[in-house]
Amino acid sequence: MTELPRAELLEITLRTLGVSGAALALALLSGLPLGIALGRRQFPGREAIVAIVNSGMGAPPVVVGLLAALLLWRSGPLGALGWMYTPTAMVAAQVVIALPLVVGIRLAAVGGLAEDWELQVRALGIPAHWRLWLLLREIRLGLLAAVIAALGGILSEVGAVMMVGGNIAGETRVLTTAILMYTQMGAFEAALGLAAVLLGLMVVLAAALTAVQQSGRR
Amino acid sequence: MSEPVLVLRDLDWVRATRGGAFRLVIEELSLRRGEVLVVLGPNGAGKSTLLRALAGLEPAARAALDRRAAGATALVFQRPVTFAGTVAHNARAALLGSGAARGDVQRRVQTALERFEIAHLAPRRAATLSGGELRRLALARAFAQEPAVLLLDEPYDDLDTAGQAALTLDLRRVIAETGVAVALVTHELRRALLLADRIAALIAGRVRQQGPRAEVLARPNSTAVARLVGMDNLVLGTADADGFGQIDDAHRIPLAAPPRAGEEGWIGIRPEHLKLDVGRGEGELIGKGHVASLVDDGVTAHVGVAWAGLELRTHLLAGRGLARTLSVGDPVSLSVRPQCVHWIPVRRADAAGARR
Repeated sequence: MTELPRAELLEITLRTLGVSGAALALALLSGLPLGIALGRRQFPGREAIVAIVNSGMGAPPVVVGLLAALLLWRSGPLGALGWMYTPTAMVAAQVVIALPLVVGIRLAAVGGLAEDWELQVRALGIPAHWRLWLLLREIRLGLLAAVIAALGGILSEVGAVMMVGGNIAGETRVLTTAILMYTQMGAFEAALGLAAVLLGLMVVLAAALTAVQQSGRR
Repeated sequence: MSEPVLVLRDLDWVRATRGGAFRLVIEELSLRRGEVLVVLGPNGAGKSTLLRALAGLEPAARAALDRRAAGATALVFQRPVTFAGTVAHNARAALLGSGAARGDVQRRVQTALERFEIAHLAPRRAATLSGGELRRLALARAFAQEPAVLLLDEPYDDLDTAGQAALTLDLRRVIAETGVAVALVTHELRRALLLADRIAALIAGRVRQQGPRAEVLARPNSTAVARLVGMDNLVLGTADADGFGQIDDAHRIPLAAPPRAGEEGWIGIRPEHLKLDVGRGEGELIGKGHVASLVDDGVTAHVGVAWAGLELRTHLLAGRGLARTLSVGDPVSLSVRPQCVHWIPVRRADAAGARR
């Protein structure tokens, strides 16, 4: 049984955080206007989008990975980008996994506001950017729930990053793909070490976010 | 009369609603400094829509708005909407982006909270307030803007009688102190009368009558307005040559300003003006009847009297005098002072859009 060198462990951990962090940030940014729009406005096609979002919340990462791989494959429609087997492709696939979670939970948070909420804010004559600030403040419990759910989803998924990243050492290997690989090789000690790091990350991040969320209740 | 602060003129606005279309037509409605205009109307008359139009929240209705004074227009909703955070945060939210200096914001928020007697609640979370406290917070938030116009949507909703009285006193004081022009909408006459200087009767999207409170109460221009302002006794009659409204061969009611003989009209008498007695009543006796119904809520005894095949309504003070001994079936005499009898000619009784 082999133990993983410390430098390699650190490198894999940092890459995992980098890929999932970037994917989360992109999902949060693009999911914000979408979630608010879906929660507060009525427009044609709204219900169809909500249905897609809701079913997307349970989309199997491995299927997302398959579709992303088909798109990014050298001869595929987006093959010219040259993203296949790069961290960029992994980020893209994880954004697709995280987005429905972010949008869905935000949609619920915004939809939970009183019907007159926006009218009241407008009646007070508050400028648009302050209205957005008030709105984010109002739904911050739901926002943090979205962050926790999305982060948990993408940190722990293995299917999509494996298929579009390829688990290349020093380039696209992340914690989950490394665990998979070492387990298949029978290197259980290395796999267990990586698993402990992954679990530790999840616990620390979730605890930190929960602390922020709960402090907002007071 | 003080100068108008906000005037809504020539509004003809069709608004799509879930049930179809709703049309709001207002020839002219003006809010004056230090004055309370109560828009009284049944549910679905367009009261809240009118308030939103006055608040400038409906782009389609903005052209009809004429603002004559600087200062915000504050709207307080029927169900106060609060923001997550403390009472102080909620009051401060009204000044977000207003450009007011920090010290100025602090002073205005403090003054507004004190005005509605909730300054001691400033550090409390808004979510923990009672219904009455929430309403006071919503009002304080509105006043933190130092508005020129205040729009109130059913401000007495969910308040008990004592809460309504306390809020009325505070509002009267604040209106006198600030000179804010107020429009208040409600469907309930009793609540309307707590603050009204002027009354506008809004029925099916149209102001059917507006004027000083006493005038609208005493001289409604149609049966629809009469019912709305509590003139519960409406009897169809024909003017005779002796200055009476003839109901049938045996029943007639004296008129203070009799119309031409032969004219048909509705005779309106407010319940409080119809006197009930077991002997000879004050005013002019209009006949004898018997008690058909009696509902005593501990404050007021609501009495229905069968007379001329109709049931006339009157009030007595509960637990006093006649109200203590009266029971259903008792013979009583009815009287009314002619100047308390209102005549609504039939030809204009339900004419739409009639205005004085």
